[in-house]
Amino acid sequence: MEIKLASVDSVIIYFSDTISKKTSLEVKSAYKLLKSLGDKNLIEIVPSYTSILITYDIFKYNFEEIQSFLKKLLKDLKTEKESALEIINVDVYYGEEVGLDLKRVADKANISVEEVIEIHSSKIYDVFAIGFLPGFAYMATVDERIVTSRLESPRKKIPKGSVAIADTQTAIYPQNSPGGWNILGKTTFELFDKTLESLSPITIESRIKFNPISKELFLKQGGVLEF
Amino acid sequence: MSFKVIKAGIFATLQDRGRFSFTHLGVTNSGVMDEYATLTAHQLLNNDLNDNILEITFSNVELQANDTTTICITGASCKFTINDEQKSTWQTHKIQKGDTVRIGKILEGQRVYLAVKNGFDIPKEFGSNSTTIKESLGGISGVQIKNNDILPYAKYDGKIINRWKEEHIPKYSSELTLRVLLSYQENSFSVTEKEKFFNSTYTVTPDFNRMACKLKGEAIESSLDGIISEAITFGSIQIPKDGQPIILLKERQTIGGYPKIGSVLSIDCFKLAQMKIGSTIKFKEIDITTAQEKLKDFYSTFIH
Repeated sequence: MEIKLASVDSVIIYFSDTISKKTSLEVKSAYKLLKSLGDKNLIEIVPSYTSILITYDIFKYNFEEIQSFLKKLLKDLKTEKESALEIINVDVYYGEEVGLDLKRVADKANISVEEVIEIHSSKIYDVFAIGFLPGFAYMATVDERIVTSRLESPRKKIPKGSVAIADTQTAIYPQNSPGGWNILGKTTFELFDKTLESLSPITIESRIKFNPISKELFLKQGGVLEF
Repeated sequence: MSFKVIKAGIFATLQDRGRFSFTHLGVTNSGVMDEYATLTAHQLLNNDLNDNILEITFSNVELQANDTTTICITGASCKFTINDEQKSTWQTHKIQKGDTVRIGKILEGQRVYLAVKNGFDIPKEFGSNSTTIKESLGGISGVQIKNNDILPYAKYDGKIINRWKEEHIPKYSSELTLRVLLSYQENSFSVTEKEKFFNSTYTVTPDFNRMACKLKGEAIESSLDGIISEAITFGSIQIPKDGQPIILLKERQTIGGYPKIGSVLSIDCFKLAQMKIGSTIKFKEIDITTAQEKLKDFYSTFIH
């Protein structure tokens, strides 16, 4: 673990310089511990794959003080077990009307569309980071059989709720957005619901399982097929 | 009690000091680009420093009041009139029912701030009124103000006459030196690259908005191609592959994967907010102890 200067009022804690499940669990455990302090002087606590950025009130801590505070706090950090993290089930309609790249991913992998769906939906994914858009969770690790790189030219619009993959990562688009990920399906699951304020259903501490559903159920849940 | 927006101009948004503690969900801080102008306006109106304000980026905004209040205009120098009568910025003005406030041509600087006594009375989203269009958050409906919008305020009949001292009113020129804390991936930049960075003069390109300011000049090279995405702070200087620095501002993405040489001292970013395209920028190193003192001095000016 290393604490580095980020800006006049921020430091960044690096747990490792490579992405791994172990590091991610350390990040999550440290994040949870920092959050549990309820310290208003820690203005932002932003976890990512291997790091946590902390923006602090410089009227309360100077650079030296925040460093020693964090060092002391994280010295004996107990890494939580993966099983302690909550699993969230997300219903997905993997149909070719909405999963625009299903066929291409299947062709590239030399397997059937059904196999792509089976492979994508059988894993439990960890959230490694949240960013890009509110509620956009970077999840991994996608099974190597269906690993597909980003589109060469991104789409101008990827519809809200699209479930997509890029390299070893998977994600759900929380709102309409330009994007270059390969779309496999669509969900009505709300990742960022303004009416819920802080209660975003998915945080860095969540684990996600995709559950394939029928077109009928998707439509019943309020899903739309239009692109 | 409100202003009616007669002319919305091209890009005027409601802002405050920003939306905090939701960054871990991908929600950017947003907030006013120039805190000096904002806090001064609130100070002169005896407002809460966290009150909201209208940030006006292009000229031609016209508002009509339907009740009494007091306002203050700060930031870029501009043609500012009340009922067609030329008025001074950086001081308070009483507004009567029927008055028309107009922000005309912007003369020096880039962003004009219009504050009303006790702020505009609009509900906050995630603890803030700051408008972030890409997130559809804040403001009146997540976008810039439009013609015929209503900007409500609580009637204020009191008497406030305040004026910012002339010597404290910024002069916006076309040259600026930004103080930089070497940080983040600074070790991936060799001594030669750092020297290049601190000895060059950069130009502000048209890629300058509430999210970031892209500069053009001597290319700087990092020994890293990219980094594992991590959270990025206000003022961070990203060096993408083309070597041209990008200074990340209030609406920056919350995480990013470009190497960063350091961070511009936040209070200098407020000055950057007023620079026009084509202005020249230089960088100067500052140490963290001095930087934190400067920051404390800055905010201490505004604590009642």
